[in-house]
Amino acid sequence: MTTRRNIIASAAALGVAPNFALAQQAAPRRGGTLRISVDQSVAKLNPLLTRVNPEYLLAELLYSGLTRLSRDMTPEPDLAESWSASADLATWTFVLRPNLMFHDGSACTAADVVASFEAMLDPTTASPARQNIGPIARVTASDPRTVVFALRAPYADLPVMLAYTDARIVPAALARGAGLARLDREAIGTGPFRLVSYEPERQVVVQRNPAFYDPQRPYLDRIEIVVFPDPTAEGSALISGNTDLMMLALPTEFARLQRASGVRVLRTPSGQFCNVNLGCDAAPFNDVRVRQALALTVDRTAMVDFVTEGYGTSGNDNALNGAYTYHRDLPAKRADIPAARRLLAEAGHPRGLRATLIASERPAVRTQLAVALREMARPAGFEIDVQTMPHATYLDQVWRKGNFYIGFYNMQPTADGIFSLLYTSNAAWNETRWNNAEFDRLVEAARVTADVAQRRELYGQAQALMHRDVPSIIPVFFDLLSAQRSYVQGYNLHPRGAVFRLDHVWLGDGAPRRG
Amino acid sequence: MSGRYLLQRIGLMLYTLVVVSLLVFGITQVLPADAATMLLGENATADQLAAIRERLGLNDPIWTQYLRWLGGVLIGDFGVSMRSGLPVLPQIAEALSRSLLLAFLAIGLMLVIALPLGILAAVRRGTAADLLVSLASYIGISLPEFVTATLAILLFADVLGWLPATGYVPFTEDPGRALLHLVLPVATISLILVAHVSRMVRSEVIDALHTDYVRAARLKGMPERVVLRRHALRNALLPTITIVALDVGYVLGGIIVVEEIFAIPGIGRTLIVAVQNRDLPMIQAGALVMAATYCVMNFAADLTYAALDKRIQYG
Repeated sequence: MTTRRNIIASAAALGVAPNFALAQQAAPRRGGTLRISVDQSVAKLNPLLTRVNPEYLLAELLYSGLTRLSRDMTPEPDLAESWSASADLATWTFVLRPNLMFHDGSACTAADVVASFEAMLDPTTASPARQNIGPIARVTASDPRTVVFALRAPYADLPVMLAYTDARIVPAALARGAGLARLDREAIGTGPFRLVSYEPERQVVVQRNPAFYDPQRPYLDRIEIVVFPDPTAEGSALISGNTDLMMLALPTEFARLQRASGVRVLRTPSGQFCNVNLGCDAAPFNDVRVRQALALTVDRTAMVDFVTEGYGTSGNDNALNGAYTYHRDLPAKRADIPAARRLLAEAGHPRGLRATLIASERPAVRTQLAVALREMARPAGFEIDVQTMPHATYLDQVWRKGNFYIGFYNMQPTADGIFSLLYTSNAAWNETRWNNAEFDRLVEAARVTADVAQRRELYGQAQALMHRDVPSIIPVFFDLLSAQRSYVQGYNLHPRGAVFRLDHVWLGDGAPRRG
Repeated sequence: MSGRYLLQRIGLMLYTLVVVSLLVFGITQVLPADAATMLLGENATADQLAAIRERLGLNDPIWTQYLRWLGGVLIGDFGVSMRSGLPVLPQIAEALSRSLLLAFLAIGLMLVIALPLGILAAVRRGTAADLLVSLASYIGISLPEFVTATLAILLFADVLGWLPATGYVPFTEDPGRALLHLVLPVATISLILVAHVSRMVRSEVIDALHTDYVRAARLKGMPERVVLRRHALRNALLPTITIVALDVGYVLGGIIVVEEIFAIPGIGRTLIVAVQNRDLPMIQAGALVMAATYCVMNFAADLTYAALDKRIQYG
C-alpha cells in the first residue's frame, strides 16, 4: 500500500506541478475548440436551479455571479468589481463593473442583480441558492451600478457565499413568473461564452462571447461539453484523443489514465467526504460513549485505501480538513479496540450491540465504507448489518430520518457553510440531531466576527467539539481526480469541485483542430 | 384480409397502449420517492419540496394526474419534462429516431450475416463448418450485451484505437464520424441476434430439406442449388419473418443496455434517465413509444406473412 501511494504521490507531483508552472510561463494562445467530457446529463439549463457538476459547469460558462470562489476559498471579483461591509457586517454594498452586457446586447445593471436575488430567495423558485447564500433580508439597487444587501443578521462570509454555484445573474425580465421558465430553454447571461446548441443527454456547445467584460479572456473560441454516462467509456475517449479534458475522473479509472501516453492526470485534495451519520437523539447513539467507541474502531489509514483507492486523506470526525480556510489540526484518531470495548461496556453494552447501517447504492463508495466499518467494528462488539438500497428509496425513507446511515457531501466554500447545513441545531438538514448548544454558539459567534484570528479560534473550538463528541464519523476525505490531454493549458482542479474556470484554458502545441 | 379486421387490430393496439399507460402510471406511483425528491436529492428542504410538488401537480389525487395527462395526450400534448422543463414530444421523437436507426442497422446487419450462416450450417450439416457456426452461436447467445459491449470498447477503442469508444454524432453533423460511432453498438446488438436467427434458419432449412417436395425435386434431377433456392428456402424462411419481428421487441429491450453503455441518447437511455428521476411525462411517453413500436412490428409481421403465404387468411 505504501509503495502504491508513493508512486501515486510522485506521479501527481510530476503531473500537476509542471502543468501549473508551464501555464504560468507561456503566453496563452487564443482560438480552438476544447472538448470536455462530463459523467451525467446537463439536465438543467436554468442557472438558478442547477444541482450537479455538469450543470454548474455550463452555468459558469454562460452566466456570471457577483463574485467567484478562488482555489484558496477566498472571493474574487466577477460582475462586482469591489465590495464593502458596514461595521456590524449586516449591510453589504457591491459595485458592478461598468458597461456590463447580456448576450442579447441589453445592459446588465443593478436592477437585474436585484431581480435575480429576489428569484433565488423566493421559495417557489426552489433554487438551492436560497439556503446557501447567507441570511439576506432585502436586496436593493441604490444606483445602476450599486447593489445593497440588508441582512437579517451580521454575516462575515457574504462575499464568499455569493460565489455560490446557483447565485447567477439573469436578466430581470426573465427572473420573474413565466420568464423564469424561458431559462429552461435559452441562455441569456453575461458569462464568457454564449450558448450555441443544447442537447441535455448528448452534447452542449458554447462559443466565445465577444462582449465579455474581460477583453483578454476567454482564450478558447468554442467548447463542446460531451456526456459520457459510462466511466470506462469516458476514460477511453480521453485516451484515444476524442476528448481533451475530463470534468472529473473516478479513482477506479485513474491508474489507467495515468499510464496512457499524451494524457496528464490531475489531482487535488478536497473537503468532499463520506461519513457515518449517527442519530444523537435515539438509542444507542444518544450515548456519546457509544459514538466514541464506534469511532475508536476505525482504522482510518485502511479506510483511505479501501474507500478512496488511496486517492484521499484520512478524516478525524471533523467536517473540515486542510482544504478549508479555518481547519484546525487535531490529534489524529487511531483504532483502539480495547478502549472501544471499555467505552461500550461503560455505556451499558458489555456484550456489544447490534445495529443496521444503511447505504445508498449511489455513489458506490457509500457501500464500501459501510462494509469496511462493519468489519472494523466487529472485534469491539458491534454487530453491524449493512443494508444497501436504491438511491430513490434512500432519499425517500432514510435520508434525514434514519439513525445510522452513510452520507456523502461535497466541499462547501466555508466552515459556516458545512456546519450550518449539517451540524448546528438549526442546520438545513441536521441529520445527526446532535443539537449541541455550545457548538451552535461558537458557529454563531464566528459568523458575526470579521477578525480572522478570532474566527480561527472560534471555529477551532467548534471543531474540537465535533472531534470529541462524534455526531458523525468522518473517516475519509476524497481527493478530486481528473485528466487532460497534455496540450491543454491553464486548467487547474478546484478543491470545491464545482468551479472550473475554462475561461483560463487554452490549447498549446499538439492540439487537434476540431469543428 | 378485410377492412374490418384491420380496424379490429388497430383498435386492439390502441387498447393495449391505454393499458400500458395505466400500468406504467400505476407502477411509478408505487416506486419510492417522486420527481420532487429526486430533483432536489440531498439538497432538499421542506418548503422547496412543497413548492416543486405544487408546481408539478404532484399533490393532486392520482386519477386527476392520470386524466390530466391522458387529456393532454389525446390532443397531442405530452407535457413537459419534470426535470428539465423542456417539452416531452420533441425529445422523445429525436431519441426514437436514433434508436430506430440503430435497430434497423442492427437487424439489417444481422440478416446479411445470419441467413447465409444458417443456410450454410444446414446444407453442410455435421461438418466442421456446421460445428463452427453452432459453437459461435452458442457463445453469441450466452454473452449478454453489457459484456460484449465492454469487451468491444476495450479492444477496438482502447487497445487498437480504431473506433470511438462511445458517443453519438448525428448524420447531419458529420456522416463519417456518425457511421464510426455506430459500428460498435450495431455490432453488439447484431451479435446476439445473429446467433439467435442463424440457429433458427439452420433448423428450418434442415426440416425443409427433409420434406417430400424437396425429395421430389431432387428426383426430377434438379440441380441441388436450384432445389435449395426455389423449394427449400422459400418455405424455410417464412418462420424467420416471425422471429425477426419478435427480435425487434428483443432489440428494443437490448437497446436500453447498449445505449446506456455507448452513451447513445436514444429512447432506451431517455427512459432510464426518466425512471431514475421519476420524470412521469417522460416515462409515460417513452414506454408508450416502445409499446407502440412493438405492436406495430408484430402487426407488420402478420401482414407480411399473409402476403407471402397465400394459405394464411386473416379476419
